[in-house]
Amino acid sequence: MKQLTLRTSGALTLIFGVAFGLTLAAHAQSAAPTPQGPPQPAVSHEPSTLSPPAQKALVTRYCVTCHDDAQQTGDVSLEHFEGADHVEPLIAALMTRKLKTGQMPPAGQPRPDKAAVDALVAALEPVAMLAVAKTGTPAPAAPIQVIPFSHNGDVMPVTAQNAMVHQICTQCHNDRQKAGGISMEPLDMSTAADHAELAERMIAKLDAGMMPPPTAPKRPDAASIHAFAVSLENRIDRAAAQHPDPGFRDFQQLNRAEYARTIRTMIGLDLDVSRWLPPDTMSHNFDNIAEAQSFSPTLLQSYLSAADQISRLAVGDPTATPTSFTYDADHFANQTTHVEGAPTGTRGGISVVHVFPADGTYRFKLLFYGTPVGNLFGLTTGKEQIEIAVNGKRMALLDVDPRLSELDKQGLSIETPPIQIEAGPQQLSAAFVKRWDGPVDDLIAPHQFSLADPQIGEGPGITTVPHLRSVTIAGPFKVTGVSETVSRERIFICRPVSADDEMPCARRIVTNLATQAYRRPATPQDIDAVMKFYERGRKDGDFESGVRTALQAILASPDFLFRIEPQRAGIRATRVRADAYRLDDLELASRLSYFLWALPPDADLLKVASAGRLHEPAVLDAQVHRMLKDPRSMALSTRFASLWLRLQDTDKVHPDALMYADYDGTLARDMKRETQLFFDSVVKGDRSVLDLLTADYTFLNQNLAAFYGIKNVAGDQFRRVSLEGTHRRGLLGQGSILVETSVADRTSPVLRGKWVLEVLLGSPPPPPPPNVPPLDDTNAVSGGKTLSVRERMEEHRKNPACASCHRVIDPIGLALENFDPTGHWRTTDNGVPVDPNGQLYDGSKVNGLEGLDEALLKHQDTFIRVFTENLMAYAIGRPAQYFDMPTIRSIDRTAGRDGNRFSSFVLGIVNSAAFRMKKVDEEKVANNQKTQATQAAGRRN
Amino acid sequence: MFIAQKHISRRTVLKGMGVTLGLPLLDAMIPARTAWAKTAEGAAAARPRLIAIEMVHGSAGSAQLGIKKNLWSPAGVGREFDLSPSSLSSLEPYRDYLTIVSGTSDHSAEAWSAPEVGGDHFRSSATFLTQMHPKQTEGSDIHAGTSIDQIYAKHFGQDSAIPSMQLCIEPVDQAGGCAYGYACVYTDTISWASPSEPLPMIRDPRAVFDQLFGAGATPAERVARRQANASILDWITERVAQLNRELGPRDRQRLDAYLTDVREIERRIQNVEAHNASGEPRDLPDAPVGVPDSFSEHVHLMFDLMAAACQANLTRIFSFKMGRDGSSRVYPESGCTEGFHPASHHQEKEANLLQYQKINTYHVSMLPYFLDKLKNIREGDRDLLEQSLIIYGSPMGDSNLHNHKRLPLILLGHVDGKLKGNLHIRVPDGTPMANVWASVVQKLGVDVDKVGDSTAALDLNQAAAETTTDSAGV
Repeated sequence: MKQLTLRTSGALTLIFGVAFGLTLAAHAQSAAPTPQGPPQPAVSHEPSTLSPPAQKALVTRYCVTCHDDAQQTGDVSLEHFEGADHVEPLIAALMTRKLKTGQMPPAGQPRPDKAAVDALVAALEPVAMLAVAKTGTPAPAAPIQVIPFSHNGDVMPVTAQNAMVHQICTQCHNDRQKAGGISMEPLDMSTAADHAELAERMIAKLDAGMMPPPTAPKRPDAASIHAFAVSLENRIDRAAAQHPDPGFRDFQQLNRAEYARTIRTMIGLDLDVSRWLPPDTMSHNFDNIAEAQSFSPTLLQSYLSAADQISRLAVGDPTATPTSFTYDADHFANQTTHVEGAPTGTRGGISVVHVFPADGTYRFKLLFYGTPVGNLFGLTTGKEQIEIAVNGKRMALLDVDPRLSELDKQGLSIETPPIQIEAGPQQLSAAFVKRWDGPVDDLIAPHQFSLADPQIGEGPGITTVPHLRSVTIAGPFKVTGVSETVSRERIFICRPVSADDEMPCARRIVTNLATQAYRRPATPQDIDAVMKFYERGRKDGDFESGVRTALQAILASPDFLFRIEPQRAGIRATRVRADAYRLDDLELASRLSYFLWALPPDADLLKVASAGRLHEPAVLDAQVHRMLKDPRSMALSTRFASLWLRLQDTDKVHPDALMYADYDGTLARDMKRETQLFFDSVVKGDRSVLDLLTADYTFLNQNLAAFYGIKNVAGDQFRRVSLEGTHRRGLLGQGSILVETSVADRTSPVLRGKWVLEVLLGSPPPPPPPNVPPLDDTNAVSGGKTLSVRERMEEHRKNPACASCHRVIDPIGLALENFDPTGHWRTTDNGVPVDPNGQLYDGSKVNGLEGLDEALLKHQDTFIRVFTENLMAYAIGRPAQYFDMPTIRSIDRTAGRDGNRFSSFVLGIVNSAAFRMKKVDEEKVANNQKTQATQAAGRRN
Repeated sequence: MFIAQKHISRRTVLKGMGVTLGLPLLDAMIPARTAWAKTAEGAAAARPRLIAIEMVHGSAGSAQLGIKKNLWSPAGVGREFDLSPSSLSSLEPYRDYLTIVSGTSDHSAEAWSAPEVGGDHFRSSATFLTQMHPKQTEGSDIHAGTSIDQIYAKHFGQDSAIPSMQLCIEPVDQAGGCAYGYACVYTDTISWASPSEPLPMIRDPRAVFDQLFGAGATPAERVARRQANASILDWITERVAQLNRELGPRDRQRLDAYLTDVREIERRIQNVEAHNASGEPRDLPDAPVGVPDSFSEHVHLMFDLMAAACQANLTRIFSFKMGRDGSSRVYPESGCTEGFHPASHHQEKEANLLQYQKINTYHVSMLPYFLDKLKNIREGDRDLLEQSLIIYGSPMGDSNLHNHKRLPLILLGHVDGKLKGNLHIRVPDGTPMANVWASVVQKLGVDVDKVGDSTAALDLNQAAAETTTDSAGV
């Protein structure tokens, strides 16, 4: 089954189609290349063995005899040919084709030798690619004949549609040429719905103005094209509404985030599962795409280790032996302020929840950052003290000797005496006692006195403070037992008082745990299987070790790790399609809870599903609304929106410490939080998703508000703040997105433009051609003057190979030039006033963020479609495909009538065939290459 | 001085934890090495082990006076060389396995532009095994080269359970900038999977231990955990069979792939159990609690783990970073009371040089402990030292000047007979260290002409003809 992924074809062409379409249309009008304006720098493609003068000599000798200004044979003059790099892509494409097929020079005329022709073709091809890449081989320029086809408004009769296909499209898409691998000769538009994949491609190309190509000698008028596309879309949508294609998805594995969240709800432990589980494979923006998830012995081994160790941490381990675990402090975090979870009156340091396996003594070793010559870093403030606290209670207070040095036996570290700590999760902090406050009046304050570089601040002039580098917890030494913990309370729902009590109590515990872990009522068979592990553990130890072994088995079970939706033969064939079946209520409950909460179903949802009522429209609707209102739907922000908007990239950008001295890791964290809370306000308030672009409010705490220059926000907690009177609005005014699309020492309008195109408009620009010099190699200084980023980009865009794409990408990014790499508002860049003006690919003039938002709103249909595609991919764990397009269009239409409210999209997806149903898994599907590829990938690990 | 012979009290070791672990490759199970070697598995297992060790801050023997006094490179080239004045003196008992390559340069570690001047400490380690010039950046656009351990791992690493491991002694910080505009990763690791993929190095021996041998502090505990996992795997197999009855072919195929992995893990466990039942216990290092304070204790623990992993064929490729640039650690056992970095700036004064040499000598004296272990491990009819290649060197030469010429570099082991040993090669000044790597990679069976900035592969079995016994040689 060949599947067309719209993300990389239809959606892409939507915007680039317009751009290239316009380019080509312009070429078509003036087929003869006119002399270029100012001389242009040469393109540094693969070096052609033929120099431009040699190319010119060849063309002048063999081509210009006919293709001169006077004759313009075939409407082409090459009299002013100056080499491949200066020729219009369309002409290059034409020349390439004619030369390669031997059509030119024509028979009987003098010809150069083959090597010379090949060298000329080699020089022309990279330029020709620019024209060919998106449109297929262009047809020779000729007078264009515009043909109207009969239609009434948006409705075009099938006869007219067939006429259009067979008069226009089959000029290239015929049995002989098969342009783009497609022949439309046998196509009858009355049966278009049977060729949905082709039809979707036609719709996308027609909508984008990509077909017929501008060079086609015969083409319909614009109204006919529109009517054809709309009629086709309606026919496909009608057919799909009767027989929706739910598609097939492989079963999903719990990814890291889902695993950790599931463990937290089951047994109350907040664990960093990256200790055990390998990183998830990202695909189509998300980490839960089933077909990207693969197996390997390493993965299985990590499942086994996680099950073993988590079960020990959960139940507690009276036989625990000492081990050590190290937590690294964030090098970029603000060290002057209080860290959440540490006692009041402290600054900086680290605060973590550590799960202690048993009651006993533990030792803490604190390591500090040093300067390059091995002294303690940050000595401005003199003698410091650091406090170790457990759950806010001081356990040790240690002096940080300023003379601490790598020369010491212990190096730059200090160790606590053994400290008695109880089993279970405890909030552990190691933070400096705050000894001073008030403003610091340095000219440069790198990263809020954080450690940008251990040299900066080594000398006078910059206030620096010691930085904690890591905390290592070693223990337990002298185990005294296992105290009651959160997880033990969750697990031991009963306690045996006699030996006879043990089995029934263990069974209750196992039933409870397995029901949560398997996301369905545990069957007697499930329980019997796990009880064997209880008995095994009981035999070697006590009741608790039996329960622990049972928990370990549950956590290693495929029923826990995989969300398998068994295909129970024949029982649920649907009315709508013979080859699809409905998921049962319990499977639906899991899909729903992992979609909205990234968690297993809660008791309420499980109850409704077990009663077989979840599929009832009113019940499902009520559950969706309940779940969206529940605080747990924050997962849509922390997981879905964060992945869609790529917030993880914010941490990868470290703005230059000296140029952007007021930025630090704490701000980065706050910025991500801002975006998540903002998205959550759209979810919880059931607002229009267009508010994501235009909202005049956001969520700030004091730290971030001060950075944005917004007054009257005090304290660590975030709250809704109006943006009226500021330059910010919507997502594109938020620091997280402005930072993640920058580089360390400058903004990147290209990355910002690319981000908008990819993330908001679903049209990733094509990758740059090889050997194009990056912006960094473009002179940062010209004529003795430092250039602004805009000026450097304009230099860069003089390169014609770059210009065709960059004129689409750059104006978007340049509209955001008022925001520096840290998201700070600015009016000058390198001393040059910032100019956020520009013209977008569709001709709209933009002036800054507001103008950009307005221009994006003109394309709100595209934005909304891309949003739905992403939400759907996340919800069902597979990317949207051609057969999903009718569903997506229908969801968008319904939502549009409902003010684009967030819940409309969720309900649309939850009620779609793709979410509720599954295609029967057939043998021929099983043998497709994807599965083989998955296995091959698995073996490689 | 033989540290290896000295009893080291392991404060970190828990009392009474004699550890044994069965190993998949047992000569008892293999009647004849040759027959076994013919099998694909045998051929894979017999591949040379590679242990690439970096020590930072060059050597006293790379300074002008140090060269004259043969503080690192011995005077004689070829087979006749006297190690007694050299920091390599502790390797005398292993001279048959020793190949000294003197005079190479690491051009990629030098400053190529003005802003890079002075940043040698923050750039060198990234060049050691890559011989590629790192891009000066503190951002995410880091760029160096692919290191030779990873070139080998890419070709043959998949033959063992863990393709390669990266170990270190000093603390690392995998984020942010270090100094002179260089990201810390350039200082923190010597292993690069690709020019933009530095691999983190593990400092905690316990973390290494758990990755190699599984969790559990005592042998009994590990046996219990292994057996528990084995029965869980049995149950998973049963459960998958049940599930398969309800699945369509595609999901079934996916679960079958999972079962293949289940069987692979079962096979590993059975191998271990079979060995334990064979009554031939092998000593394994005890599961350590954390990072020991003592340098030698820490290094020896890491060597114990590496030897055990090589023996069990759990992994065949290690990179091991024994120091960190700019470190001022004091090595009391070396007899030098000054910090490593201050001592390395010896001002070219004879007394200082001799003090600094004590540290170099001490570092090299860690090796015999490891060589001894490898020599006592039999694989088929050979010992592991015969099969292995241990690289020990520094991307810095004269630490006082921060230059990257006349680098300390030795190779140990016979690489399955491909390296003769007992040889001192002196190459013309300016010969890239990468030429040695090119040859090394070829001896490891990887068909590659060029590594980093290599210009040719250096013959490692012949002292270059044009070299003389002139001790100055500069």
